Amino acid sequence: MKTAAVNKKVRSRRSLSRNDRFTLGAFVGLPTLLQVVFLWAPTLITVILSFTYWNGINVADIKWAGFANYKNIFFGSPVFYDALKNNIVWLLWFTFIATPLGILLAYQFDRKIKGHRIYETIFYIPVVLSLAIIGIIWNFMLQPGGFVQGVMGRDIGNAISIWGNYDINSYVIMALASWRHIGYIMLLYLAGLKAFDSSLREASAIDGATEWQTFRKIIFPTMRPVNVIILVITIIDSLRAFDLVYIIYGTSTAWPLLNILAFQNFAGQGISMKGAAYSVIALVLCVVPILVYLRNVFKEDLQ
Amino acid sequence: MSDVNNGISRRSVLKGAAIGGAGLVAGGSLLAGCGKKQVTGDVHFTIRGNLSDAGAKIAIAANDAYTKKTGNKVISQAVNSDDFQNNFVQIMQGTPDDAFGWMAGWRTNARADAGLLADVSEQVKALGSSLSAAAIQGATNPSDGKQYIIPTTYYPWGLHYRKSTMQELGLNPESIATWDDLIKLCEATQKKGLVGYALGDKGGWEAMGTFDILNMRLNGYQFHIDLLNGKEQWTDAKVVEVFNHMGELIPFMNKNVLDISWDGMRDLLLQKKCGAMMMGSWFANDFLAKSQADYDDLWIVPFPEINPEHGIDSIDAPLDGISVAANGKNPEGGADLAGFLGSKEGIDAAVAAGDTNIYISSDFDTSSYDAFNKQKLAVLGAAKNIGFFLDRDTRGDFAGPVVGPAIQSFLKNPKDLTKILESTQAQWDALPAL
Amino acid sequence: MSTTIVQNKEYKNKQKTKDNFISAIIGFFAFVWIFPILWTLWTSLRPYNDIISYGVFSWPRNLNLDNYFQAFRVMGLTKYFLNTLYVMVPSVILILFLGSLIAFVVSRYSFRFNLTLLLFFTAGNMLPTIATYIPVFWLYIKIGDLFGNRSLLYNNYFGIILIHVAFQVGFATFVLSSYMKTVPKEISESAILDGCSVFRHYWNVMLPLLRPPLAALGVLMSCWIYNDFFWALILMSEDSKRPVTSALRQLQGQYITDFNLLAAGASIVAAPTIILFLVLRKQFVSGLTLGATKG
Repeated sequence: MKTAAVNKKVRSRRSLSRNDRFTLGAFVGLPTLLQVVFLWAPTLITVILSFTYWNGINVADIKWAGFANYKNIFFGSPVFYDALKNNIVWLLWFTFIATPLGILLAYQFDRKIKGHRIYETIFYIPVVLSLAIIGIIWNFMLQPGGFVQGVMGRDIGNAISIWGNYDINSYVIMALASWRHIGYIMLLYLAGLKAFDSSLREASAIDGATEWQTFRKIIFPTMRPVNVIILVITIIDSLRAFDLVYIIYGTSTAWPLLNILAFQNFAGQGISMKGAAYSVIALVLCVVPILVYLRNVFKEDLQ
Repeated sequence: MSDVNNGISRRSVLKGAAIGGAGLVAGGSLLAGCGKKQVTGDVHFTIRGNLSDAGAKIAIAANDAYTKKTGNKVISQAVNSDDFQNNFVQIMQGTPDDAFGWMAGWRTNARADAGLLADVSEQVKALGSSLSAAAIQGATNPSDGKQYIIPTTYYPWGLHYRKSTMQELGLNPESIATWDDLIKLCEATQKKGLVGYALGDKGGWEAMGTFDILNMRLNGYQFHIDLLNGKEQWTDAKVVEVFNHMGELIPFMNKNVLDISWDGMRDLLLQKKCGAMMMGSWFANDFLAKSQADYDDLWIVPFPEINPEHGIDSIDAPLDGISVAANGKNPEGGADLAGFLGSKEGIDAAVAAGDTNIYISSDFDTSSYDAFNKQKLAVLGAAKNIGFFLDRDTRGDFAGPVVGPAIQSFLKNPKDLTKILESTQAQWDALPAL
Repeated sequence: MSTTIVQNKEYKNKQKTKDNFISAIIGFFAFVWIFPILWTLWTSLRPYNDIISYGVFSWPRNLNLDNYFQAFRVMGLTKYFLNTLYVMVPSVILILFLGSLIAFVVSRYSFRFNLTLLLFFTAGNMLPTIATYIPVFWLYIKIGDLFGNRSLLYNNYFGIILIHVAFQVGFATFVLSSYMKTVPKEISESAILDGCSVFRHYWNVMLPLLRPPLAALGVLMSCWIYNDFFWALILMSEDSKRPVTSALRQLQGQYITDFNLLAAGASIVAAPTIILFLVLRKQFVSGLTLGATKG
């Protein structure tokens, strides 16, 4: 059966006219060229640049640095470990708190609890907002003289520290990031659940299984492909995190992330290829989850 | 009349192309060696800030005066200042505006060495004796002895406070002469429920002002500059002493130092929530924008003496000016405009539009200064050595990415000082040669 | 038999109480979720001076749309909205077009490197943008210089469009190729037997079938591109050509910020995507679903 299909396909390719072959070439070539030139080539160049000293201006000034930038990062820049720590906190928070919450919401909404339509909409709205706007909205809430400070009875002179208070700022940033992430996961999972055979759940309900048992024993295992994809999205998003923190702190490294350090060293007033090395480190960390994702998504095709 | 660039961009691109052509023609005729040249063509100018800012209005007024004099149109655009600084190297390599407000020091010199800024020595020469030797010296790139910025204004970093607040507290900051006096002042202010020493460092650069002045007071100007240029070690006991003094100030600071940027500090003072604040005087324009009464209430004194050997002989007084992009469409026109903005006519136009900055030019009539400006001059006059501020006195790949986080870490956790300084030195050592 | 029914009823009643409880809890969180947005809207209706004089929590003395009119005027929002459109519309069309081309070839013709191609495009979508920042800029300048016009890509809508397309086409390819797999092969085979050229096969046979995923993707991509401000910051030197999201930076002034005005500006800029979402919710959801949960 399978070989027959393949044969058919092969035959259809053989029968292609010269014109058709040209069309096919153009169909594939154009987008591929675009990807290669504007996406893969720049990434490759960044990887190469991370092994050089350069101020980003004259090509002639590029000097080979070997592993100096990496050595500098790993052994000479304590801020790198702060960033790594923050990225890991982000990752753990997303994996163990935000993503499960999104799944929980999706599960409840899929059961069509009272008000689920309006709730769905509300939880999803932050996802369609630009980070520029999210920054402004939360600034209103948290700044001295803003809502949260006001509720606590603080004015600008005795405002409590939020962004600069290292006991709480990680939580606040995680909360803001979750504001967006939970809705996103909720929607993805909900879509997966819609495809789920609801008779299975009803059957288990009749068997007297509790909600939790039904979810854990029946729904969650069946949703395995979706679970993996959501986990990978969570990991990649945590490692790529940048915009939200950039909106809050700018290029200063008050709450560093790998990509913030990359940007600070890449841009800013002094450009150094240490920034390229930072982004290569972030890239390498992303590669494993990307591979897992691809493997999972294209499992059938790979066989 | 200058024209704020708000037209549909496709049109301005076409316009730009035409200007590019005109610029080439002008350049050609210059090469042909015409004697007295009349610079022509539209000039594009970048204003760092918002169009609604006081500063933007002043810049536009000055540009208008240029148009009136020469007939050359000035097309100004206002851009977010942080974005402009962060992407400066890219902007200058791309299609920059011809002229823009910029700052003297490393940021000018290094970019000039890389060929991004145009030489304006000729315009500086034309300004002649109106610029003091020191000002010209400050604007000169040490690597080739030329100027790449036309110095226009400067301002002192000092202790700012509100006269009314201090009066209510029965304090007189003018009388503080020593470190102990300062600590006592902070204590007294704090006792009354105000912030003793207002500081914000969210941006990662604001606290550099405090570091600079402590280093200059304790160890002198030469040590400070040597340290920033790698000739002294960050692990030196002298630097430890600087941070120890900063540590003594921490108890008097607001509890949200790392939450607020310079504008948060300004608001603390504006809303009478703090006593003293170490900052550059440029923010006075905002006080004036709020009300004349607020502006009149503002005062500045020099940071007190700590080490009698150095007295109060040094100060951070960043020198601002106009630079010209080498890759602009009309660098000649840009230089011409820059020269005008540094001249008497340009200054007069800016001042008429409400500029409270101190102009460096001797053509500028200081007798018309208000009390605050006179005091700024007095503060500047008390110093013999002038620093430009840490992020202009040292390499850009050191100031922002290394010193900024180091000071933030210290403010976060002063106990880590030894580790912080060791890593700062290590990161300096790891910098590539320029 | 009868006992099971009774049990079931009891179970259902218990479940109902529990569900109401759950609904109430989620309702509370939904309120917390939406509150910052409501607060921003509320702030935008109040004059700055009221806040200054009476405080954030004061009873409103004036509620009006003045801040909105002023935001429109001060920010020159019309201009920035147009900029966004100039970038968004061509980008989305190109992304859908190029994405469907690759998806078409990959799912309808057999080449040895089909899977590689698909992997290549999908992986490309996941690369961190920061890693490409300096080289892309540099490339834009060099390509421009090559053609004698530095503004060919840099500081040009065209350049922003290209970079959006390069970054998003992978996602579109992935979504569309998964969708095409569900389209029966027989349709294509009969088209080929009828002697359709490759182009007609694509244009007249496949493309009409792709309408639903194209619509879904179109909505999603429009939202993403609308929200971006990062590329414009790097690749546009002229502020007057930047999109509406970065115009907000103009209101967050160097100097005293009028937060009520800023709230109005933010509300205006947020409105299109929120409205788009509310009206085209179905497309949004299916766009994401097709892309991320294909098993």
